[in-house]
Amino acid sequence: MLNSFVLDKITFIYFFAFLLYLVHMVVGWKKFGALATIVTMTGFVGHTIGGILRWYESYQSGIGHAPLSNMYESLIFFAWAIILLYIFMEFRTKSRSIGTFATPLAFLCMAYASFDPNMNQAIQPLLPALQSNWLIAHVMTCFFGYAAFAISFGLSIMFLIKRSVRAENKSLFLALIPPIDVLDELSYQMVVIGFLLLSLGIITGSVWAHSAWGTYWAWDPKETWSLITWFIYAVFLHLRLTVGWKGKSLATTSIIGFMCVLFTYFGVNYLGKFLYFFESLHSYA
Amino acid sequence: MTNKDSNILWETLSSVKLILVLLILLAATSIIGTIIPQGDTAASFAKDISPALNRVFVTLQLYDMYHSFWFRGLIGLLTLNLIVCSINRFPGTMKRFNSLPKPDRIGPFRDLSEQRTILVRGDLSDVAGRVGEKIASLFSRMEKKQTEQGIFFYADKSRYFLFAVYLVHSSVLFILIGSIIGSILGFEGFVNIPEGEATDIIAIKGKNVNSRLDLDFSVRCKNFNVEFYEDGTPKEFRSELSFEVDGETQKEAQVIVNRPASFQGISFYQSSYGTVPGTHALLSVSEKSEDGVITEHAASEIKTGTIYPLPNGDGQFQIEAMDDNFKGMMGPAVQVTVMPMFGEKVTFWVLSNMEMLKLRFPPDMLESDMFNASAFAPYTFHLEELGSRFYTGLQVNRDPGVGFVWAGFILILIGLFTAFFTSFKRVWIRITPDGDEIRISVAGRASKNPIAMERELGQLTRRLGKLFQ
Repeated sequence: MLNSFVLDKITFIYFFAFLLYLVHMVVGWKKFGALATIVTMTGFVGHTIGGILRWYESYQSGIGHAPLSNMYESLIFFAWAIILLYIFMEFRTKSRSIGTFATPLAFLCMAYASFDPNMNQAIQPLLPALQSNWLIAHVMTCFFGYAAFAISFGLSIMFLIKRSVRAENKSLFLALIPPIDVLDELSYQMVVIGFLLLSLGIITGSVWAHSAWGTYWAWDPKETWSLITWFIYAVFLHLRLTVGWKGKSLATTSIIGFMCVLFTYFGVNYLGKFLYFFESLHSYA
Repeated sequence: MTNKDSNILWETLSSVKLILVLLILLAATSIIGTIIPQGDTAASFAKDISPALNRVFVTLQLYDMYHSFWFRGLIGLLTLNLIVCSINRFPGTMKRFNSLPKPDRIGPFRDLSEQRTILVRGDLSDVAGRVGEKIASLFSRMEKKQTEQGIFFYADKSRYFLFAVYLVHSSVLFILIGSIIGSILGFEGFVNIPEGEATDIIAIKGKNVNSRLDLDFSVRCKNFNVEFYEDGTPKEFRSELSFEVDGETQKEAQVIVNRPASFQGISFYQSSYGTVPGTHALLSVSEKSEDGVITEHAASEIKTGTIYPLPNGDGQFQIEAMDDNFKGMMGPAVQVTVMPMFGEKVTFWVLSNMEMLKLRFPPDMLESDMFNASAFAPYTFHLEELGSRFYTGLQVNRDPGVGFVWAGFILILIGLFTAFFTSFKRVWIRITPDGDEIRISVAGRASKNPIAMERELGQLTRRLGKLFQ
């Protein structure tokens, strides 16, 4: 399929962009930074085209659905959302250092989708339960939420790196990382966006489950883990807004939150292969 | 309980720390139910672990942990905590909501940047009038004060957004109330209905395996269809249902996955399907004459319950029962009763592939009268084919609490949006004479997002400047 061919190549473009961002931070050549932005944007355009192509090809083969229905497609969308949010952030903050921490996340998703031998890249027809308009709303909100959490995770890592070194350390790499209070604020804003979208994702999933199975909540492992993630970020928001926490402890909370996101996304699926009873309604993604 | 004790209790319940502890506890304990199997799947797991451990699990209700006493207790405590916290903080919010700060406060103007002031020419009261008009159009409340120093304005907007946080927290209550109503007044059940048949009894899922519910109406499955994609994966399951009261059809509906049908507040969801024996079987009869010659008669479609004549007219027979897998292991079978012209009735089961069964079961078992298809001489019955038909498996639910849950969902989204993306904005404007010009200074505060507020104040200053160009 042409779409997989295109999307495979995007993996390398994102890796190249990551290298450029990294070199830019280590060596400090501005041209590398500008080039990194151009490469990322090119990758994003190609990525978007690849996604649209997949959509188009699914109609050509008579199946016809938005490319949001299995593990492969969700990974592609996740990486796309991360890059989109990152580009917004780069334009808003005028700081390219975040790219060094955001592009590798997108690259890893793309690499996993494209090169894991067990990944099914074929366009599959939709099972009856998936034939619903809620599918698009549910997957989009969830993965945009996850992407916002991913960016917040990257910012938190940057925060911890910047915090852990003494002021006299004058390395360029550190100097290019924005000041810690800026990182703190940006990370908080990303969690706010992620929390809203995760709430929307859980709600759309719940309404969908109600129309498909008659119950809006069944304590399915995927549902439960999304709720655990929601609890952790709810704690994050209360720590920040009510208790007044800032800085290191909050950055750590964001990292723990993202670990929960990863477990909700991947862990639940793969645990299922080891524990025979671990049956999830979300086995497809 | 003494007054002091109740104070400590109230204080504990109104602490944000308790909320955080409870949220973390709920998150941590929720993991258990994703590792230990829940409900129906628990039985085989329980056999694999030691009896002592199993007893601990049973006592702590870990096989149904999301409905266990302690998990429900945690949710209850969190709810109480949430309510007490809200009650405790509400007066403060009300005070902020009702308060009208003085227009001539100095505080907001401390360290005011030069960009927030403009110099204009004109008469003081005329300038103040035009500024006041503009401010009134942009804000919801405005207060004016004139002193010897000059003219002062206070204005604010989005005051109601102070309550957004209560909206978020009360939406949690809506969702919980909805789920409680659902679990008390609602039910979850299922029913299998063969094509063409109707039923008014459904099985209820729950602790009692055999609990059932009689409906006030009956549901008929008129037709069931399953479609597949080219690669064999299922594409669509479709049941055509009709709802009948006293034998009269009140409503007809097609049910597919994701599109349930409702009747009298009870919803039917397409859930599974399967096959059951039909009402027809293809039977053939052979006849063995006294000198051992076997005559085969053509097979014919036999309907259950209908009486057919034997080939030679020396009696009648009918199919009494059908089973698509007799005793759960012997394959398709029909029960035939022969009613001879003279003599006693003879009843026996006709199994479909006797040759295969002879290899798997002891001969004396198959030779019993029960399976003797030649019990009524000179005839031998052969089961050629057992007709089958679909049954539709429907999930049957009633949940009167779902409206509360939906309301909670909408409220939480509205609440989160307003709580995070809007803020209570207050501005102070000072109009003072400065030489032969007039100075307008703009200061302000927001309950959230100070960076955005600075931007807005800059915009406001420019707009006021434009009034005098």
